[in-house]
Amino acid sequence: MEFTRELYWNVGHGIATLVPMYLLAFAAVALLVRGFIKRRATYLRAAPIDRVDQPLVRLTGALGDMLSQRQVSRVLWPGLAHAALFWGFFLLLVGTTLVFIQADFTDPLFGWVFLTGNFYKLFSVTLDLAGAAAIVALALFMIRRYLMPPEGLPVSRDYLIMHLLLLVILITGFVIEGARMAVTELGRPVAAWSPVGLLFANVLVDMGEPALRNLHRGLWWFHFFCVLGFFIIIPYTKFRHIFTTSANYFFSDRGPTGKLASLDLEDEEREQFGATQVADLSWKDIFDGDACTLCKRCQDRCPAFATGKPLSPMKVVNQIQETAFAAPDDNLIEVVSRDVLWACTTCRACQEICPAAIEHVGKIVEMRRALVLMEGEFPDEATMAAMEQTEVNGNPLGSGFAARGDWAEGLPVKDASAGEAVDIIYFVGCYGSFDKRNIKVARSFVTLCEAAGVSVGIMGKQEKCCGEPMRKMGNEYLFQTLAMEMVELLNGSGCDTIVTTCPHCFTTLNKDYRDFGLTPKVVSAPVFLQELLNQGSLPVQPHPFTCTYHDSCYLGRHNDIYTPPRALIEAAGGTIVEMDKSGSESFCCGGGGGRIMAEENIGSRINNTRVAMAVATGAPVLAASCPFCLTMFEDGTKTVETASPPVPQDIIELLAERLKTAEA
Amino acid sequence: MNILVCIKQVPDMEAKFAVAANGVWYDPTDLAWRMNEYDEYGVEQAVQLKEQVAGSDVTVLCIGTDKAKEIMKKALAMGCDRGVHVADDEVFSREPYEIAAIIAEFARDKGFDLVITGMQSQDRGSAQVGLLVAEMLDLPGISTVVGCSLDGDGLALSRELEGGVRAKVRVNLPALFTCQLGLNKPRYPTLPNIMKAKKKELITIAVADLLKVAGRQATTALFVPQKKGGGLVLEGDPAELADKLIGILKEKTTVLS
Repeated sequence: MEFTRELYWNVGHGIATLVPMYLLAFAAVALLVRGFIKRRATYLRAAPIDRVDQPLVRLTGALGDMLSQRQVSRVLWPGLAHAALFWGFFLLLVGTTLVFIQADFTDPLFGWVFLTGNFYKLFSVTLDLAGAAAIVALALFMIRRYLMPPEGLPVSRDYLIMHLLLLVILITGFVIEGARMAVTELGRPVAAWSPVGLLFANVLVDMGEPALRNLHRGLWWFHFFCVLGFFIIIPYTKFRHIFTTSANYFFSDRGPTGKLASLDLEDEEREQFGATQVADLSWKDIFDGDACTLCKRCQDRCPAFATGKPLSPMKVVNQIQETAFAAPDDNLIEVVSRDVLWACTTCRACQEICPAAIEHVGKIVEMRRALVLMEGEFPDEATMAAMEQTEVNGNPLGSGFAARGDWAEGLPVKDASAGEAVDIIYFVGCYGSFDKRNIKVARSFVTLCEAAGVSVGIMGKQEKCCGEPMRKMGNEYLFQTLAMEMVELLNGSGCDTIVTTCPHCFTTLNKDYRDFGLTPKVVSAPVFLQELLNQGSLPVQPHPFTCTYHDSCYLGRHNDIYTPPRALIEAAGGTIVEMDKSGSESFCCGGGGGRIMAEENIGSRINNTRVAMAVATGAPVLAASCPFCLTMFEDGTKTVETASPPVPQDIIELLAERLKTAEA
Repeated sequence: MNILVCIKQVPDMEAKFAVAANGVWYDPTDLAWRMNEYDEYGVEQAVQLKEQVAGSDVTVLCIGTDKAKEIMKKALAMGCDRGVHVADDEVFSREPYEIAAIIAEFARDKGFDLVITGMQSQDRGSAQVGLLVAEMLDLPGISTVVGCSLDGDGLALSRELEGGVRAKVRVNLPALFTCQLGLNKPRYPTLPNIMKAKKKELITIAVADLLKVAGRQATTALFVPQKKGGGLVLEGDPAELADKLIGILKEKTTVLS
């Protein structure tokens, strides 16, 4: 029995210790639970939403996210520090639980002692290292927050109290261990298995046994009370994220990614559409605020925030939570402000990075819905005009609907609305149909299909806007009107594959339209063309060039399509010089969220900011894969201050220019 | 205040127009339809006045085919209380005098305090109907209104004259005015109001019941004018050019008003 230790050494394991200890511990846990139950009442005042379906899948996902710390570790160094603190405390919790199980359960009841021998060695060294890791992590936390805080990171007394409390708990733990070891273990082999405790023991040993025993007993209770204090303040400080963030993984949106909830507009009893007050949102929207740790990763990536607009996704989430708890009857739109709500491009950079699985975009759209549907308000007159144009002509550009198919003149497209048999229906979108620049892309796409022997049908003047910009801008009524009409049209075509060159159309047809019964398969052009390429049916002759590629938000973050566009560029002979912000960290062009219809009058222009990033790569071509991006970049490259701005091109054009049959 | 606002359904001006087979009007194929822009200002003004004067009632009247009900629903969603659809499949062949007579016949015994029409329609553009109605009902008629506010028992109106000049007019009710562009900012109907509009009264009257006059003029041909050389090239020294340009902008546009 060499490798073990006496549990409750020096503090005693009798009634005098156990009764007050357990009573106080239960009381602290009860206070913790009470704190959360009180918060629960506020969550429940909001609207219901089902976030407990498929509980097993949710549970395994949540445990995976929590234990792996993979969400928080996406920002490497602060993330690893957090992971170290988490794993440190997690192991300490496991260790303390083992002590409890042996000392007060298996040993007294069955005489079973397992903290001994090799297992004790593992137990002891693990806990020592866990404690040390937690101290190092905390030190890094404190250096980062108080000595060199990055811009926007909140610094307040609350954080200091939290950090100091944890630090005191960890350090007193080692002093207690050191005092015990100084009396009982110094000079014995077992001491080596508590390396950090051994350091403390060597420092303390000269105090002599009586003083060490007093120090040990006193600090043991002090340490214990600190832990109780920690429990009690969890619901009232950001410590609550230990529970709320973990729970938020369980309650997370299980997709489809970026799909908005469809409002029931048929319900004639309904008097409120969208969210004017907290109660119009769901309980998850309030809970998100409780799960937020103010890490500001969303704010760091928000294109609106980065260009001087008043939107910070983090602030919005917290304003909703604060209003829910402090003034639930307040008008949420006044609290958050219109300029904030209209600034969002729904690019999902915030949600993509959030380590707490918070859903920012849906909240903003819910409040926009209230502005549009309840007040008839829009960010500006241009947006309202675009809405009215869409009602009349089925496109926000205001072009006459009957000319919608004119772009395809001279190309071998069939009229799919007349029921002609085709391989694919090309859902062109408004920009591909009417915008001069994007008509070139639409024509290039058909040329590629023709070269690959794919017969293409279009809906011509029967096609209308998919409704995406309107939906994101809050006009759910117009969106649903368009959606129902388009679903009927597309379902009735008899073709089972729809291809889109616009990522906004793609995401809307493929995800949002499913609520309205769309049945055909929907494929984005880059994925479709990559398949043709892989089958060997696309006769492309590579021709070397250098470009940078802009991941559109709606192909990338909304649909995880990152490699197919790059594969197409490579097939065309392109070498990609990536921008600093690419892939899932791509920076929006400014055209999403219906902003393509609106003026951009606050701060600097998002498209110019993005074009400047492209200029920094030195690449002569700025490859895009979305008509909104292309439009924004055509504008941005004209105003950017550089001698030779990159030429914006869609990857479909780059490919079509390299067709073996093409005269070039 | 008991208000009558008259609206017309017109094609969207972005559409491709073609002369119809009868040679006197455009072919309705492939046209998108909307509320005449001038009339949108009228509906908005009527609803604003209703909001300012308790107990007001706004009737919206539209002469047209069954399709015209689409824009009436929008007017009801914007806040009009009731709709009167004068069913007339021949509306496109009516001359302004007939249209005015139909409106006047309907309005004569209804005790309207105010009749509002657009200054003109975007398609025919005769700019006669409003003032003819005023004459037929023996009401003071004020055209090209760009500002409207309550003034005691009457209205204080602002008119737009040529060259960006404005005139202020005060009128006692009952009266009629026609709306020029820019009178107000027509609202976007809210969803609850769109729902409510579905339940509002919308009656249909056969045109024969209201048309008691015969037309006095007839369009004999509709055609697209031959394209002439576009653009105007100004020459001279810069100061002179600037003056010329300002003169043209003042005369032909409202950008400087």
